[in-house]
Order: sequence, then structure tokens, then C-alpha cells
Amino acid sequence: MKTLTTIIVASTMLFSITINAQLQQKIEMRIDSIGNAKLKITSTMNAQQWQVWNSNYGNNPSALKRDIERNMPAYFLDDFKLEKDDMNRSFNLSLNAYGACEINKRGKWVVDTDQKNAQLTELAENKYMLVSSPPEYGGNLQQTFIIELPNDAKNIKTDNNAFGKTVFEFDMDPPSSGFNLMRWAGILLIVVGGGWLGKDMIKK
Amino acid sequence: MKKLAIPLALCTLGLILTALSFFGSKAGSADDIDITIDKTSFIMPAAHRVYSNPDALDGKYYLFKAKITNNSSETLEDVTVKYRIPNYIDWTELTVSGEMFPGQTLVVPCYPKFNNDITEKTTESVEKTEIEISWDGAEEDDIIEEDFTFKLTNRNEYVYTGIKSEEISSYADIYDNDALIACFVTPNDPVVKYYAQNLQEKVLKGEAAGISRNEKDAVRFLMGIYEATRLSHMVYSSTKGVPKSTDDVASLVQQVRLPREVITGNTGLCIELSTLYASVLSTAGIDPIIFFVPGHAYPGFRMNGQYYAIEATGINGEGLGGIASAEDAFKTGQKQLQEFMKFAQMGDPRYTFVDIHGVNALGVTSMDLKDNDFMRKKVDDIVASWSGGGPQIVPNNNNGGNNIITPDRPLRTGNALSFSIPAGWQTMMRPAPQMPILTAQVVAPDQMTTVSIYDIPTNNMQQAMNTLNQYFMSFGMEMQYQSNGNSLAGQTYSANGNFNWIGKALRRQGGIRIVAVGSPDYMYNQNSGIINQVYNSIR
Repeated sequence: MKTLTTIIVASTMLFSITINAQLQQKIEMRIDSIGNAKLKITSTMNAQQWQVWNSNYGNNPSALKRDIERNMPAYFLDDFKLEKDDMNRSFNLSLNAYGACEINKRGKWVVDTDQKNAQLTELAENKYMLVSSPPEYGGNLQQTFIIELPNDAKNIKTDNNAFGKTVFEFDMDPPSSGFNLMRWAGILLIVVGGGWLGKDMIKK
Repeated sequence: MKKLAIPLALCTLGLILTALSFFGSKAGSADDIDITIDKTSFIMPAAHRVYSNPDALDGKYYLFKAKITNNSSETLEDVTVKYRIPNYIDWTELTVSGEMFPGQTLVVPCYPKFNNDITEKTTESVEKTEIEISWDGAEEDDIIEEDFTFKLTNRNEYVYTGIKSEEISSYADIYDNDALIACFVTPNDPVVKYYAQNLQEKVLKGEAAGISRNEKDAVRFLMGIYEATRLSHMVYSSTKGVPKSTDDVASLVQQVRLPREVITGNTGLCIELSTLYASVLSTAGIDPIIFFVPGHAYPGFRMNGQYYAIEATGINGEGLGGIASAEDAFKTGQKQLQEFMKFAQMGDPRYTFVDIHGVNALGVTSMDLKDNDFMRKKVDDIVASWSGGGPQIVPNNNNGGNNIITPDRPLRTGNALSFSIPAGWQTMMRPAPQMPILTAQVVAPDQMTTVSIYDIPTNNMQQAMNTLNQYFMSFGMEMQYQSNGNSLAGQTYSANGNFNWIGKALRRQGGIRIVAVGSPDYMYNQNSGIINQVYNSIR
């Protein structure tokens, strides 16, 4: 089962066969306070790469969506958005991945990088960078990952899981309950009614 | 007092709403848990090890995946997801999430671990998966139960695709399960290993292609497999391939006989012959490749970066026309390979190949098969047809199978070759005066198996066979044969039908003696047991 860091490899599958020039990708993965991830992938290509990518995916975004979904069978993905910049031969793809991280039995949030001894660079308190070149693409693909953990994440540390792969572990409090219309309407009525009552009492 | 009524009413209403907001949302009830299940339509027993491995082909082959969202306002503790498949898998825990926050989503994929005996399943069935989701403090009514059905095929069925019909857009989508053909390649099957060992010993008389990594050695091995199938009179034959569908998926489902069934049945379709070759090559440490082209498949291997192929179906069978020699089958395979490379380089998606060891490394491993004494005996029978010096067939006294009768008396017609005549067979000396080279003939009680002894006054084996053929032609018959040392195998064609035979030849004083035993082609497989027994008794 692949984890999120390999999610976008699918969208460049054909390059490894046809084009030798190295393709650079930037993948930002922002995890929210309930463990879902928002991914944003940007890539700029040379003319030949752009032509091949367009013929396979750029002109048929549904094929891109389908192939990414097939290559990430362990996830539920949605909200795919593709923006192309033909003038500069680049694209932006964003999507949501549900349940990208979860809470283990010890109550810790866990994010798997799917990399053994990942060389992580800490950019900020909850922001990390990881550069990867998947061996299956023979060095033709370089991916730069920016992994942003939730703002509320505490005690962030990296560890190795049972398979020797690097994982993030952190604590996070449950998010505050959402807006409750009935409760706030009740409080509003109490305040208004109480104010009105107080005013009348003072007048008396 | 009247003036106070309205603000009092507002306050009261406010209190009621506030109170209701606390009581109205029951924490973690089943209604607050949202579940989406994405399920597979077919499960192939042959690929049971793939389904059980989350890392196999990046986890592509799952039974289901569930998306569970906590829509309640409370955190759920120890959320547990378990499932079962009645009669196959007991309740099994998939995951326990320590906590599940309000709004949080849990994605749970299921990779089912079937018992190894699923590979003995010979019929298709519709099975049910039951899923249960619970958490700490959940009441009986709150435990969530879901179920769905799927088709569990028989062990021989190969489903070409698992992609939903509405999503199929290309040729590759129709054959999306190509990699799973590696599950039908069974180098670890004890019966296949036994066959391969015999082949290395009896046909190839030793080989070291897997160690030397010499392409010539490997080509010799490839042709050796072909020769073994040809000598045993293996024939090409079709099997059932029918379209099947579920609610979402429509696919062609092909019955694929396992390599052990191809060996012992002595027949196979192109894909079945390809899996047989791949199994034997893999056993010998050579990297097997199966090439797929529109409507056809053929086997080969890769060594030192080079690809080689053979047309395994060149064996055809008498009913289908000419039987190609190993050299011709290899030439045809190489020619097809050139064409394959041309189209593949042009990006034609119909030309693909499966690198068996490559997909093995990705988790697509073969099914587990148990040893089988009966099949080993069948392999012995087949091995006996390859050459002289084959293993002695242990007399089989059981009443099933080929009903082999223990030999009881030797026929000695001179000082050269002799053999044992099974009980009840009739011996005729000089049965055809117009064919003086036919010294004797021994016929089975059902007249379907015949042993012929020829004495031909020549010292050259080739001339002897030519003389024999001339006699046959004068009777409106024609003979084709192959020789390997003093062993012979051939077919005789006539207006009455075709006759398959195996035999041995030996120089004797004043000429060459040939002893041949065989049956009409339509009875050959059925009588192969007794034919091999007689053949092995030739001394």
C-alpha cells in the first residue's frame, strides 16, 4: 500500500518511457486538524514533456483523475482541480485525500512518508521538506515534498515504523465542536429576553 | 405583568433551545457515522496471495475499502472495524483507531487472507462479506453492520479486468489484470518441479542455463521444453472463455488450466502453454516472459537484456495440421518477437508482456499447490514417451485411471529387442505376408493398442525408416517420425485415421529391428498408460 508521498507519480508515468530529461515536481501536502490532506502538485516541463503529458492527461483530465485514483487504491480522493498554464508549460493539480493520517492505539497521530530513512529538512515548526527520486523512474523524476502538519500539532517527532519507514508522530487536541445553531439561537434568546426583562424591571 | 410576559417567554424559549442543543445530539450514534464502501466484484482464488498483500501492485487488489466519517459532536474511542466472509474467513479485525475526532475520516482497506485450500475451489460462487464497526461505549443498536456480495471464481478462472464498465476507455483497460497471469505460473508446484527435473535429465541430458547465463544454453532449454511437449504428443486445444458481469464490472473470464493440468492432460491453449513454459523456465532459474499480442500469447525469456520467444502452439496436434519442429517453433517465435517489438515501440497498447519474475517482485506470486502422487505418475507416463531410459513405471494396480495391467509374459522374437506382453493380448506372427518386414504384431483385446515388430534388412536407421515408409505408402499410408538415440516417436496417417506410436530401434544381425507401440490418435491419451508400460518393457 503506497502512502501519499507517491500519489502523483501516476500523473507522470509515461515520461519514464519516452523522455529522458528529468522532470521536477513540487508537491505540497497540507494536513488539516482532522487528518485529511489537501494536496497541491505543480510541475513545469520542457516542450517535449509538455506535449506528451498533454496528449495523455492534459487534454483528458478525467484520465488523470482515474489513473491517480487507481494508483492510490487505499485512499478516497476527491475535489480534483487542474489548472494548466500552456504558455509556461506548467500545471497545478489539487485534490483532497481523506484519512491521510490517523490516530494509533496510543493516541498519537501518525503520517507515513513511505520512505526508508527519509532525509527530512525542517522548514518551520510544523513544516518539513523531503526530496525524492523514485527508483522506478530511473532518476527521470525528482519530487520535492512540502509536508505541512496541522497548526495544532504538538510534540512532533519522526520515527521508524515496523517496516523501517519514516513516520511523523504528533499530538493534537480534538477540534472544538462546530457551530451549533440551536445552542446559539437559545443563548441569543436568553440574552435578548433577559435584557428586555432587565430593562422593564429597571423602568418599573 | 403583561409587559414582562414577552421577555420571559423569550428567555424560556432560549433555555429550551439551549437545553435541547445538548440533549438533541446523542454522542456517537450509528446515525452519526457516515460509511462509504468501495468493493471489488471478482476474487480469483489463483491470486489469493495478491489479495492478501497490501503491498502487492501498490495495494491495487483489495476486497473493499471503507470510508468512515464521524459526524457526531463527540470523539469516538477505539473505533474497531472487522469483517468476515462466511465459510472462508472468520471475524477478522482490520483496524483499531485509538480516537476518532468529530469530523474525522478513517479509510480502511481490506486485504483478505484466504486459506491456501481456496486453490482447490473448482466452482464459482457468490459470497457475502459482512463488516462490523464498533467503538468503546457503543450500544448494541449503535454497532454498524454492512454487507455486500462478490463473485468468487473457481481456481482456473482468470478475469481479464476489474475496472468498472463505465470507466473502460482503452484496450489496456480491458486487459487490466494482465499481471495476475503470473499467479498461474507455478514453478514451486511439486508436480511442475518433477516435470522440469525430468526434462532437464531426459530431454536435455543436463543443462546449466540458469547458472551460465549463456543465451545459447537458455535457447536450448526453451527448445527442450518444446521438444518435450512435442514428444509427448501434447496438443493444442481450446478452453472456455465467456463474458461475465456483475453490477459494475463486465469482463471476459477465461478458464486457464494450471501448468500441472497442462502437463498431465497433455493439452493446452496458448496462454496455458505459456504459463507452463514460464513455470519450467522459472524453475531452472531463467527469467520467463509471456508476450501478449491481439488474440494470442506466447512464452519466452529475457537474458542479458535480450528477449527470446518460441511459438509453443507449434505442437498443434494431428487434428490441427502440421507439427512444427523445435527449430521452426523457435524461428516463428523470434519472428513474432520482432513484430512485437516493432508495435510495442510504436506504442501500440495491444502489444504487452508480463515479466514473471518482475511482477513476482511486486507481490504477484503463484498459488500454493499440494503434491499429488497421481499427477506424478502421469508425469512418469509422459516422461516415458520422451526417450529410452525413462523412469520405470511402477505397476499400477488400482482400477482407476488408465487401468494398467501388470505384464505377465515376455515376447522374444529374436536376439534383439523384446518386450513384455500384457495379459490377454493376442500375438500374430507374420500377420501381413505382403509386408515381409513385419515380423509380428501383438494386439490388445479391445484392438485399440498394437505393438508391431519390424525387421528391416539394412544397417542404416534412416534407410530402415525409409523402407518402412515405402511399404506404408504402398498401402496408402504415410509416416512421420522423430528419433532421439534409439527412441522413436511418430504418426502414421491413412484413410482410416491417424495412428500415434512410440518405439525403439536396435541394430541386430542382418538388419535393424524396430518395436513400436501405439493407438489411434483419438485413443492415444486414454491408452497412454499401457502404451508407456509396453514401451518401458522393451529391452
